[in-house]
Amino acid sequence: MTIPSNAWVFDTGPLRHFTINGWLGVLRFLADNRPVYIPDSVERELVNATANVPTVGAALDADWIHVHRSTDQGFGAAFAHYVDRLVVDGKNMGECGVLAMGQIYGCEVVIDDATARTIAEEKGIRVTATVPLLCDAIRAKKLTTVMVEALADSLLESEYHLPFGPGGFRTHVLENGLLDYDEL
Amino acid sequence: MAEIDARTLGERIREARKRADLSQEDLGRAIGLDRTVVNKIEGGIRKVTALELSDIATATRVRMSTFFEDPVPALVAHRSSQGLDTADSQIDALLAKHSNDVEFVDSLKVAELGLDASEIVSKADIRQPSTNAETEALAVQARELMTLPAEEPITNLSSAVSKVGLLAFSRDVGKDTADAGTILLRRGGVTLVNSNMKVGRRRLALAHELGHYLIADAYTVDWRIASHSDDTVPLESRLDRFARALLLPESTVRRHWQEKVDQVGERNAAILLASKFRIDMSTLATRLKELKLADSQAVASVRNYRTTQADIIELNLYVPLEELEGTTVPRPFARAVLRLARDERISRERALDLLQYTVDETDLPHTRERRPDEIWKFVS
Repeated sequence: MTIPSNAWVFDTGPLRHFTINGWLGVLRFLADNRPVYIPDSVERELVNATANVPTVGAALDADWIHVHRSTDQGFGAAFAHYVDRLVVDGKNMGECGVLAMGQIYGCEVVIDDATARTIAEEKGIRVTATVPLLCDAIRAKKLTTVMVEALADSLLESEYHLPFGPGGFRTHVLENGLLDYDEL
Repeated sequence: MAEIDARTLGERIREARKRADLSQEDLGRAIGLDRTVVNKIEGGIRKVTALELSDIATATRVRMSTFFEDPVPALVAHRSSQGLDTADSQIDALLAKHSNDVEFVDSLKVAELGLDASEIVSKADIRQPSTNAETEALAVQARELMTLPAEEPITNLSSAVSKVGLLAFSRDVGKDTADAGTILLRRGGVTLVNSNMKVGRRRLALAHELGHYLIADAYTVDWRIASHSDDTVPLESRLDRFARALLLPESTVRRHWQEKVDQVGERNAAILLASKFRIDMSTLATRLKELKLADSQAVASVRNYRTTQADIIELNLYVPLEELEGTTVPRPFARAVLRLARDERISRERALDLLQYTVDETDLPHTRERRPDEIWKFVS
């Protein structure tokens, strides 16, 4: 099965952030008519995550998020390469499927983890992350700055490295010209 | 990674399952598939998804990439000669693991790994020594290749061998198994030394493995190094002598042994020489015997001397950190892994795994500060 190159492929982390905050609908809105995919390795991580955070199950129930399983050997070999670079004891498996999809089908991947993003860039895979998507959402008036500020702070409390501290989102995007004042 | 067909993939899965000593039913149970499905996968009839294949790799305790990569030729040759049904010894499995790890790091083109150094050996075109004189000459040549002084002690042998492209790992694999093993990679080589032995014997084992590496023996697993007789295994015996000659150069012993004995007596002379060159008494005794520097009575005495705490104090001996103690990874390999972790080209978990957990999370390089443009450059 070939995946269209305009597809978005989500890693577990970004999808978890969207679902926990109840913004899955926003993501669908952001995707517009772009197909949204997750590899089966992300599906498995989401299934496991529902044990602790049941709301994550919303991503599994969404009929517009397609699960991709591949028996193609080129895909398997790409997947294995990323396992070599990222996985120990089953951790980081989701990213391997995402990166393999980005490599094999040329689609854009959405990954928050810094190492996986560095690898994506090294491999010439189109890559973005949660916060840039949210900036786009503000610009498109699909989310308010207040909502995204709250998310940025919650990301700072987890593993995400941001170039500002808690409460610093608004100042940062203005100072760096990422959004204009009237877009906030 | 090479493109392979379904049948080859199936065969590799079957081999991995057998080496893990699992039945098709065991494997099926571990990955949630029926035995008949496993049978079809191994026959290349039923295709396997990437995620299923990663589960198979986990269950058979191999890395998933080994299903797609052509294995190191030396490993293939060894395994075919042993038969697929033969369960590998622990040292074999570890050699395979270390060679995969080194080749993986090498594939990411990290200069710190230093396998280019192996070219020195291929250019030297070294032949197997067939006389004692050739063996002694090979030891002298080995020091030259490793840019070591002709007569000085080799204080860090594992670091020295890396200068010719041989990466030495160590691990305690118990007393009832081999002393060491070596596998030739496509470039360079990997040695595993059993750190269950005392330091003098570990260094001797590594020196012996260096001999195998220099004469391009593809795959070796050695037991009871330094106890081979000329009649049974001439090559092993020659390499034992090579190991002694490397660690304790002939010219040094000839020049200093009798002089030291005259100055401080036989026992103290033996203790001083063994300590300086970091060898055990048995090695020194054999060396004195083969160089005809001591009669059989003196050789027997030297063999029985033991260095005591009092000797260390009274003779003011230098006691460095014990080389190849417990689990160790070669320094160039560790530097290459840390480079990959620092540059975020591999995950931190994988870095710790490659380093055999000889360091912990807090020892890894700190994640660098994000530059603002790194996060935001994706914003359209």
